Amino acid sequence: MKFEHLLGLACAAMIATGLPGMASAEDKVVKIGAVFPMTGNAASAGIHAKYAIEVALDIINNAHPELADLPLAKNAGLAGLGGAKVEVVFADNQGSPATGQNQALRLITEEKVAALTGAYQSGITLTASAIAEKYGIPFVNGESVASNLTERGFKWFFRTTPIATDFVRVYYDFLTDMKAQGAKINNVALVHDNTEYGASVAGTIASGFKDKGLNIIDIGYVSNATDVQSQVLQLKEKNPDVVLMISYTSDAILFAKTMQAQDYKPPLLLADDAGYSDPAFLKAVGKVSQGVFNRSAWSIGPPGSPSAIIADMYKKKSGDEMDDTAGRQMEGFFVLVDAIDRAGSTDPAKIQAALKATELKPNQLMMGYKGVKFDDKGQNSLASAVIIQLQDDGETYLTIWPKTNAVKQPVLPYKGW
Amino acid sequence: MMRRSIWPALLLVILLGYPFVFSTPFQQRLGALVLLYAIAASSWNIVGGYAGQVSVGHVVYFGCGAYAAMGAYAHFGLSPLVGLPAGIVLAVAISAIVGVPTLRLSGHYFSMATIAVAELIRLVVTNTDYLGAAVGLSGPTVPRNIFDLSFISALPYYYLFLAVLAITLAITWWMTNSRMGFYLRAIRDSERAARSLGAPASRVKLYAFMLSAGLTSVAGALYAMMFGFVDPESGLGILISVKILIMAALGGAGLLFGPLVGAAILVPLEEISNSLLGGKGAGLTFVVYGAIIVLIARFQPGGILTLIKRQLERRAGPQAKDAQAVATGAGHAP
Repeated sequence: MKFEHLLGLACAAMIATGLPGMASAEDKVVKIGAVFPMTGNAASAGIHAKYAIEVALDIINNAHPELADLPLAKNAGLAGLGGAKVEVVFADNQGSPATGQNQALRLITEEKVAALTGAYQSGITLTASAIAEKYGIPFVNGESVASNLTERGFKWFFRTTPIATDFVRVYYDFLTDMKAQGAKINNVALVHDNTEYGASVAGTIASGFKDKGLNIIDIGYVSNATDVQSQVLQLKEKNPDVVLMISYTSDAILFAKTMQAQDYKPPLLLADDAGYSDPAFLKAVGKVSQGVFNRSAWSIGPPGSPSAIIADMYKKKSGDEMDDTAGRQMEGFFVLVDAIDRAGSTDPAKIQAALKATELKPNQLMMGYKGVKFDDKGQNSLASAVIIQLQDDGETYLTIWPKTNAVKQPVLPYKGW
Repeated sequence: MMRRSIWPALLLVILLGYPFVFSTPFQQRLGALVLLYAIAASSWNIVGGYAGQVSVGHVVYFGCGAYAAMGAYAHFGLSPLVGLPAGIVLAVAISAIVGVPTLRLSGHYFSMATIAVAELIRLVVTNTDYLGAAVGLSGPTVPRNIFDLSFISALPYYYLFLAVLAITLAITWWMTNSRMGFYLRAIRDSERAARSLGAPASRVKLYAFMLSAGLTSVAGALYAMMFGFVDPESGLGILISVKILIMAALGGAGLLFGPLVGAAILVPLEEISNSLLGGKGAGLTFVVYGAIIVLIARFQPGGILTLIKRQLERRAGPQAKDAQAVATGAGHAP
């Protein structure tokens, strides 16, 4: 009998301490769901996204006067919600569109999140945001580039990252500037894998460049290749003026090694982010890829600038250098939390209205966008990118274009090793 | 006879009542997913369990259904339901083309051939723009009418899947009690002996393969309608074949309710372990998931259902045991 009494008391005590704790937590904590690939092929990207969001949480939930230009950094918590703290519930999409959607549903209905972010792979962002749309929960994506995501007539989906059509403009303007400096740009080889990313980006660039009168050489390969000799031989034979690489990490490394083995150096090597931005790429083949140009919206400013401080925090947390993908995810998350702060509420409709009214200036961002302002489809109309070049013996990317952002001059031709 | 019909009736009551007991949206969806995978695994069971032909390429037929359903919407603006019969026809046609040469192969060679065909088709689809290539095809996200089968709640999916599962199991049951079912069990135990006694082995195996493929494509179509999206990885990836196979084998291949039991264990196990552990980013989900599969395979290779059956039979006595074994065909894992 005594034991049962004790048990009853213990239960009552647990309920008593649990209940008020939850009640007070509810009006002080804003929960946001984040669906990322924590396992599977893209696990590295998902785990780095988690680090990026945790750094963002540190900035939002604690006072960071040194980052005062960024919204939310100055004081601890969300001023618009009486200093409420933000909590992120992470979920693993396992690289599957079905799992991504299941987890998004769980976050919405079980965890009662106010909004969602994620899900890295475009196909999973598509299914996860579809369930958010059905439930009327805001979904802000910072990194998926498939153009169809914002063509679905969704009312609850917002995207901050530049997409393929933005890249076409950036690359064309950059190459035209290089032409003015004496480089030839008439023949452009597009080397791409057959994944959704590779195929869609290559397709958009090919049609955009053809409209501008450039000659396109299309060289496709199967992703996760074990041998790319024939592709490199093809490049050697066609001898294009510009080689544009659209590749994930393992393929990017293989191409760099094969190019060295076959002693092939294109006059101008330009990469479309992805594998070429991965810290693993620099570690493996940075030394033999000196002078490669790359797209990025992320650049570390001078010491003491907000981006340099964030880069430092990220490095301490993850052990790796901040890269463009993690940066875009972090920026997407900041934009979402800023909207919740301005909404002053976790009511989905108010957050949606605040997202629509978003108007952030470049100095309020950690990424090199021209700002954040969503068009009718939910796409950030001010998204843009800069061109960086691998300099300093293949150890660091430095911003070299456009002139206003440049910290160094571009170096031509491609040096390699 | 009375005793034997109690269990299916009890099962039916449990399945009908599940969404009311477990009524949160996530639990209802979990239930729907169990039924969906049970349909796929039960379809596989016809050829993999009863006929003993272990196909590891069944995802091809799953993909036929999924692509037909999404294609009907993406290309013709029709309800994905319209694609369902087209998917069945396609799956049956492909299975006939694939089955004629590969079903001659025995044991592992048949499995390998089915994997090769599945990978081949995945690569072809990945490079076919009409089928969305690597980007995939998506369905109606904002439903135009009820025939788009795009619901917010999982409840309509749950009962739809339950009905389809009931039909699948009824067809399987009817087949096992027909002449074909007896042929198939004879072939599984010894194809040479069955042939020597005059069983038309090649023809019967092919029919089972085609029937299995057609039903699997229904599962694929239902999957695509629920998630509203299919791409080469989620519609034709080898992992889906493996998942279907593991569910059937774990529950008890060659037993009518084996695949359902397997799905009822594995689907919640996967989703719940992912929900609890996935967000930590340490890949613990698959460690736990894999460990449980290893344990079951180590201690009960015939499947969970054989374990339960054995317990029931031990209580019922030796007479019932014989009757049961004849009626269902004692379950061996392939």
